[in-house]
Amino acid sequence: MKHRSRLVEVLHRAETGPIIEEAEFERKLVAPTIRSLLKKYDIKYDKSVFVPNDDDLADRVFQAGLDLAAEVGMFCQSTSRRIVWTRSELEEGLRFCPTEVTLGAGNDAVVAKARKPDDDGRVLVAGGAYGTPVPEYMYIPMSLSYLKEPVIELIDNPSLETVYGYPVKAGSPWEVLAARREAELAIQAANIAGRPGISLGCVELSPTALGGLAGASWGGYRPTDWHHAPILSELKTNYDMLSIVTHVTRIGGVLEAYYNPIYGGFVGGAEGVAVAIAGGLILLNQIHMGDTLNTRPNHPFYNCDTTPELIWGISLGVQALSRNTNLILDTLTGPAGGPGTKTILYENAAFVIATNVSGQSIMTSCHSASGGSIPRHASGLDSKICGEITHAVRGMNRAHANELLKQIVPLYINELDKKPIGLPFDKVYDIEKIEPTAEWQGMYDEVRNDLIKLGIPLDRLTH
Amino acid sequence: MSSLNELKNEFVTKLLEESNNDVIISWTKEVLKQGVTPLSFFDQVFTPGMAEIGEKFSRLDIFLPELMDSAEKAKALSDQVLAPLLVKDTTSNSLMRGKVLICSVKGDLHDIGKNMVSLMLQVNGFEVIDMGVNVAPRDILGRAKEQEVDIIALSSLMTTSMPYMKEVVELRDGFNLKSKFAVIVGGAPITKEYSEAIGADSFGHDAVEAVQKCLLLIDRPVISK
Repeated sequence: MKHRSRLVEVLHRAETGPIIEEAEFERKLVAPTIRSLLKKYDIKYDKSVFVPNDDDLADRVFQAGLDLAAEVGMFCQSTSRRIVWTRSELEEGLRFCPTEVTLGAGNDAVVAKARKPDDDGRVLVAGGAYGTPVPEYMYIPMSLSYLKEPVIELIDNPSLETVYGYPVKAGSPWEVLAARREAELAIQAANIAGRPGISLGCVELSPTALGGLAGASWGGYRPTDWHHAPILSELKTNYDMLSIVTHVTRIGGVLEAYYNPIYGGFVGGAEGVAVAIAGGLILLNQIHMGDTLNTRPNHPFYNCDTTPELIWGISLGVQALSRNTNLILDTLTGPAGGPGTKTILYENAAFVIATNVSGQSIMTSCHSASGGSIPRHASGLDSKICGEITHAVRGMNRAHANELLKQIVPLYINELDKKPIGLPFDKVYDIEKIEPTAEWQGMYDEVRNDLIKLGIPLDRLTH
Repeated sequence: MSSLNELKNEFVTKLLEESNNDVIISWTKEVLKQGVTPLSFFDQVFTPGMAEIGEKFSRLDIFLPELMDSAEKAKALSDQVLAPLLVKDTTSNSLMRGKVLICSVKGDLHDIGKNMVSLMLQVNGFEVIDMGVNVAPRDILGRAKEQEVDIIALSSLMTTSMPYMKEVVELRDGFNLKSKFAVIVGGAPITKEYSEAIGADSFGHDAVEAVQKCLLLIDRPVISK
């Protein structure tokens, strides 16, 4: 956390940066800057490719991202100011960023290390129902469906639909209560699973700073957990998010910062997404000072990140950063499909292959069923497939990954606009035994066999 | 003279390719000089042209900045040329299909989805009052009364903001304003079932459906898919 010594400088710049209207920031600054950088660096989407394998292109995307970060900065909604840095300040921030980080405690601790494209270094596997709303009675069984899978080394929690039967209102005492309850249930689930020290992604129920601070106070989430501090699309932070950054810094917590550009929005198409990822994560390193940096771009109509355009843009953005920095990167699988469908399994397989070979350090899964927006639609097998693929493709190169995606993407692409959300957790798992139903397990096994036939060594014993 | 359909195609091309409002305004004035009535232009060039822009966005053939630029040019054309002419024409209908107040409710700072709905409503002929994000229920109702809107459109991307949608509906009904404004809700976690459970009048799954539902709420025909 040495890099967070600039916390006070970050807060100071949020109070003193250039003033601008929020609408002007996105429309007059972000959108045209990205457009001009795409021309300057000759960055074009190639729809015949899923996983780019062009180092020069990746390096141009990195330079464009650095330009974007320096020219635009990040907008602070609370002060209507841009938090800006010179290019050399951003480069210094990258030069001294953490190159490895320990998540969790005791026997459950794991270490994430910076990687490069085509790297044979190990990728950590994070799994969980990542923000999917669930009722209180289902919270622990659903969490256990992930925790009982040994391939999953980090947990990202679901979110509570209600707290003690009442709706959770943002910015109210209900948010405080829900964040405390979430921490209590998440830690209880980890203890039941015999993995008390596993790092838990938190605080899911934190639309304002209230949840983030309450959930990470005494008796709640621990400094060794994985504290999330997102920014809003596009390139916007605020006092709530900066308060979480400040709090996590002062309690010595591990921080995951993330940014989710919107495909077709102000950043434009696939090539704009790639540059936005590069620029956005450079800014996240500088301003939110994440130990790990995540991106989960979104398709505005399918709510997923598994379309060919998005896979290309995400892969390229990650390559740009992993080739040129030591940032610890992760991407979140966001399938359109949900539990009980083959679609989610193929989507997750394609996404994980593409992002792992691009140089990410942690594979994060997953935003099941329309990007995690459908209550109760998530299950342990959704992430297990991601973990299995992660180990199987260790050491694979981008060219090989691209060939595999040519075969896998057609297996799901025509399903994306059909809202294949599948079934809720209690229809695909026995929630007392915490086991998948025979149908869901059978579907999983069929897809796994299909992937083995495609040449993915899911059955090899070593990795 | 070109057919109205050809003019519509030319109108769409100019909206997307010309960077200056003046170009499209001059072009429209020239078309009107050649004998196309303002009402024909509005009904058969402007309205279907804007619907086509909306459809292009719904397929992501164009992106949000192009949609915003087109909406801005169309508004300038409507304000400066078409509205004054149509007001003179007593046989014409109103230019606007209805007035919608839109915002992301309290606790939710996401605005891109809300902005997409706002723009799609505008390109489909609605007047839109955008209150931005993180707006409290009482402020929403106060502004809706002040502006005499037809529809209140509420967005939430977060389950923790959804209770504020319910609060808007409850306050509207509690203050006996149900006959004044319809409420439509949308956003990633919002479902038809939730919409019905809180007493909202309609639900839109995405920007395209939101426009269709708003047209139905004000009892006008659907023109954009």
